[in-house]
Amino acid sequence: MGRSQGSLRGHIATPALLGLPVAWLIAFFVVPIVIVGLYSVDVYSLFPGAHGFTLGAWHGFLHSSVYLGLFWKSVKMALIVSAVVVALAYPVAYYLALSGTKRKYVLLLVLIAPFLTSYLLRVLAWKVILGNNGVLNSFLAWTGIRSANHPLSQLLYSRFAVILVLAYVWVPFVALPIFVSLDNLDRRLLEAASDLYASRWQAFLRVTFPLSLPGVVAAFFFVFIPTVGEFVTPSLVGGTSGYMYGNQIADLFSTGFPDWETGSVLALFLLGVVAVLTLCFARFTQAREAT
Amino acid sequence: MDVALSRNGRRLLSGFFALLVVFLYAPIAVLLIFSFNDSDIPAFPLSGFTTRWYHQFATNPDLKAALGTSAIVAAISSAGAVALGILASIALARRRFVGKSVVSAVLLAPLVIPYIVFGISLLLFFHATGIPRSLLTVVIGHIVISLPYTILVLVPRLTQIDTGVEEAAYDLGAGPYRTFGLIVLPLILPAVVSAWLIAFTTSFDEYAVASFVVGTRQTFPIYLYSALRFPSNLPQVIAVAVVVLVVSLIVIVGAEIARRFAERRLAA
Repeated sequence: MGRSQGSLRGHIATPALLGLPVAWLIAFFVVPIVIVGLYSVDVYSLFPGAHGFTLGAWHGFLHSSVYLGLFWKSVKMALIVSAVVVALAYPVAYYLALSGTKRKYVLLLVLIAPFLTSYLLRVLAWKVILGNNGVLNSFLAWTGIRSANHPLSQLLYSRFAVILVLAYVWVPFVALPIFVSLDNLDRRLLEAASDLYASRWQAFLRVTFPLSLPGVVAAFFFVFIPTVGEFVTPSLVGGTSGYMYGNQIADLFSTGFPDWETGSVLALFLLGVVAVLTLCFARFTQAREAT
Repeated sequence: MDVALSRNGRRLLSGFFALLVVFLYAPIAVLLIFSFNDSDIPAFPLSGFTTRWYHQFATNPDLKAALGTSAIVAAISSAGAVALGILASIALARRRFVGKSVVSAVLLAPLVIPYIVFGISLLLFFHATGIPRSLLTVVIGHIVISLPYTILVLVPRLTQIDTGVEEAAYDLGAGPYRTFGLIVLPLILPAVVSAWLIAFTTSFDEYAVASFVVGTRQTFPIYLYSALRFPSNLPQVIAVAVVVLVVSLIVIVGAEIARRFAERRLAA
């Protein structure tokens, strides 16, 4: 408490401010995760009978080519989605931030607005468009570009559909952090580069791009994290080939052949990976701010 | 000479921007077109204009009930998240305390947790504690999800305003609650409204967590998800989609205009 006695007078005490929000998160966020942890080692179970600590489910998971294979498949899909999304959003953010257009905030709002509308409804739109008898195929048949008997059949219920829809969902969101990092760029640096006979490309590669890297990394991170555990979009447009790790977790907890113990292990493993990535990301941003 | 873009580069990028906007809005336009199409199957060629899908959904009791349920859940959870968010944000923006980095990490952690993991965690938690699944359990989960967003909106606004005006209020004899109500709250009101809007839309649209903890009464996303499995419902669902998308786009643009206006007035 570095403040003088006088300025503290009349303030609400810090514990009174933090008590409720922190208690809420401990009760309904931290404790539930701890319970998943207990479930994964069979210390706690819904089924009656004797239960003791066992790493059986963990052992089974780490030696299962099915679960780990599915995890890698999801990592690869999430990497593709993140890379595609950043590649689409970067030029647009660059245009808005550095072209000197007067309407940059209006155009930015146009770009971001779809992200703030319903996620599920935007997925629905693609389901309508991509189906075998959907809008795209019927349009191709109607205009005679493709015969009605041979629709493009890999559009819906495929890995392609999952990647396309997730990229569609995330592009507007990702434009924002990249735009912010480019918009904060000091234009005099570019003028200096130009005075020193750098071409625009050289100035971009050696000045603009490195300075926008924090925005790019943030964008990549904030798409990769939710995508690697995604299960709603693949369950709607993925079919069997678009089935992801998150779907496996959901299925282990749903009707049919539920196995909550294995499901808990899968969930905790995903959480661990996400936690490590988050720590790396936090280190990266702190190191950037320090320099 | 422009140092960032050549004339051709500018043309190229503005063209690319236009293409991306088309990509973003075309699916919404497709829904709009087929919501008025007189056919059970959304496919070309178009078969005439009708408003019957809108009439059908307006008279579908399940759908209307689901919309109402989601509105209630979103109203309660957004109010709760904003209230908790204001408390936490004041502490984070104005106070120094031991363990601040740990506390802010816990408060922001729901931003990065995969919703599938949070959903099953809550499911196990409610099972373990014997709390029956209902709309209340959905509200509890949605407050956790929305809370960090409200903090991310409120803290920057709180750090912007001059603490001198608060000190002045104390010096003039106002207590902490009057100072908050008369000085701080009006100054952060635009941010509070933004935070509330984000929390409301997050809850209204949330499927992943709700699907694990919802009881027998369906929220709108859960109704939508199950309706998507029956093609006969599709035209109706498309009509609802258009209404929800258009309304939310209007609210977003309106809120943004209002926020700019309010902040300009407060800055003056």
